[in-house]
Amino acid sequence: MSGWKIAILCCHYTNEATAEDVADIPAQIEIRRFPCSGRIEVADILRAFENDAEAVLVAGCERGSCHNRSGSLRAEKRVEAARKILEEIGMEPERVQMAFIPRLDTGAFVAAAKDTFEKLLEISPKGETTS
Amino acid sequence: MIIAERKPIGRILQMIAPFKKVAVIGCRGCVAICSAGGDREVETVAAALRLARKREGRPLETVEDTFVRQCDPEYLTPLEELRKEVEAVVSLACGVGVNLAADLYPDLKIYPGVDTSFYGANPSLGEWEEKCRGCGDCIIDFTGGLCPIARCAKNLLNGPCGGSQGGRCEIRPEVACVWHQIYERLKARGEVEKLTQIWPAKNWIPAGHGGPRERVRPDLQFNNNSKK
Repeated sequence: MSGWKIAILCCHYTNEATAEDVADIPAQIEIRRFPCSGRIEVADILRAFENDAEAVLVAGCERGSCHNRSGSLRAEKRVEAARKILEEIGMEPERVQMAFIPRLDTGAFVAAAKDTFEKLLEISPKGETTS
Repeated sequence: MIIAERKPIGRILQMIAPFKKVAVIGCRGCVAICSAGGDREVETVAAALRLARKREGRPLETVEDTFVRQCDPEYLTPLEELRKEVEAVVSLACGVGVNLAADLYPDLKIYPGVDTSFYGANPSLGEWEEKCRGCGDCIIDFTGGLCPIARCAKNLLNGPCGGSQGGRCEIRPEVACVWHQIYERLKARGEVEKLTQIWPAKNWIPAGHGGPRERVRPDLQFNNNSKK
């Protein structure tokens, strides 16, 4: 496994995937669940980077299927706000990814995690870390 | 309320560059309501500052707090203790709060984390619009409650400029021409004749001709223990 660390901030209802489901990705994956992706704050995303994540994936329910109606849409806006702050401090905004996942579709969840890892490879191919 | 907006993180980082431990202090007044300087914004700004400094290899320690208000001396008293704990303070209050803290604690290194923008309303979630310029001589009794000083791009006092089209401002077409609105509003209220009256010249002295403005209520000045 590489030294990369990816944090996945995820709606509790979107998916029940565990570390085993993403074990194929050669990175340390940390999954943190929230009652709704709309509850994920910009500060949560920044703190994940502070805790040594090189990339953060925010995963919420597909548009229109959020338990709380607009949680994942709100999460998308927070991701945009976090990207802006990353840009302001000289980090690549692409380090934060947003994915809209069909409810309980572990395949889509794992695919989004893989996409995030591939994006990370493009950003820091030599494993350059953020800290 | 007073509307403010977060300063760029890079700008705040410049202000606190020499320090290793700072407090980020929010205010639960106007800036919390306009989502620029309340508890959540304190968390966000503090996390962004710590992350940026960690990347620079010069870690920053932060203390986070949000005061009830920063525009009253009694609510700033926690600074007495806090200033012993940190080297500097980043305040997410409006400029009033930062000024008062700087007045009361001359040795405290306090820096603004937001730009204080305008007096505005919150017509819908996530949007704030200027409604008042605080000129000190309110004339909106003549104008159907709508302020042409704050809401006309040219601050006109005698009707629309002639450039507005279809009720929209020529400077920013996405903004309604306030003079068009004033006419429509007065017409609906049966007060359109107000526009035919000759107004006295507006008094701009209360707008701040002589430095900082003050207001005094002598009946409230008893038992006044505030530092001044």
